[in-house]
Amino acid sequence: MIDGSTELRQLGDELEDAVAARIASRPRVPRKLLLAAAVIAVAVPGIALAASALISETEVAASLPAGTAMLEGTDPQCTAVVQDVEYLCVLRSSPQPEIADMEGTVEPTVDAGKHVNGGCRSLASDGKTWRCYIGQAAVEQKIIGPQFLGEYAPAPGRG
Amino acid sequence: MTTDAELLAAAGSDARAFRRLYDRYAEPILRFHRARTRDADAALDLTAETFAQAWLSRGRFHDRAGGSAGPWLFAIARNVLVTSVRRRRLERAAREKLGVRAEREAPEPNDAWLEGVDEALDSLAPELREAVELRVVADLTYEELAARSGTTPGAARVRVHRGLKALRERLTREEAAR
Repeated sequence: MIDGSTELRQLGDELEDAVAARIASRPRVPRKLLLAAAVIAVAVPGIALAASALISETEVAASLPAGTAMLEGTDPQCTAVVQDVEYLCVLRSSPQPEIADMEGTVEPTVDAGKHVNGGCRSLASDGKTWRCYIGQAAVEQKIIGPQFLGEYAPAPGRG
Repeated sequence: MTTDAELLAAAGSDARAFRRLYDRYAEPILRFHRARTRDADAALDLTAETFAQAWLSRGRFHDRAGGSAGPWLFAIARNVLVTSVRRRRLERAAREKLGVRAEREAPEPNDAWLEGVDEALDSLAPELREAVELRVVADLTYEELAARSGTTPGAARVRVHRGLKALRERLTREEAAR
């Protein structure tokens, strides 16, 4: 507990209320619907395969600036290494990073529906080459946490 | 005791978990900002922005300090401060995104706010500073860090541990001296 600062307590109350409101406003998928989707995916492999092969290289490229503000206007071009899983992306324009050396920096990616769909790791200090992973692969690569995948992200992240 | 990492993991669906993390770090983060800005209102606004960014980017947190979110939160605080000075206005994007209303009459950020901001990191021996930066800031694995530094993953882990310990001790001494 914080001692001695009414203003810090008030700020804590405000942040807690704002976070609670944000959590409450998230659209929830009914459990029955999730279960039905899982059953269909397991029972009908063809549908599962078709459903998973949905992301194009252009969509992956669009996911970079949608997830990270400093990549806006950089015109990424992505090539599939493993379809729907791993992509190599090169930016035509240099990003405007907050740090000098971007090698190893990780950033989330966000799909057209404004939900976190994966993440990328910078392969070079100038931030122009990124290895990106879609879905669970980004979690396994420890680019994003498991709670973050699928999160609503209405605007590109900063910092 | 619940670790910071566990609280952050729960914070996506439990606002009280986030509040517990805030209660652990709000004072030291406020002290960090107040020491740089020398302005109570600016320090409160920057503290609000630091925690708003922490919640919004909690998915990027990776536990590499024994469950502690301290180094990660201070990295966010530093970034919020630096960005505010560069843009000559207090960062508020995360607060606005979260809908936090707090807004105070604060002075325009200036370069003096950044004096001494990296002194603690600079005070580390070069190999410890490199280890902390590569692990905590650049997010390299111990294996990657070891390959970069020409050492073993075990030795890399020890360097990071020693660097973080030295940073904690220095920051504690500075806080006690204020």
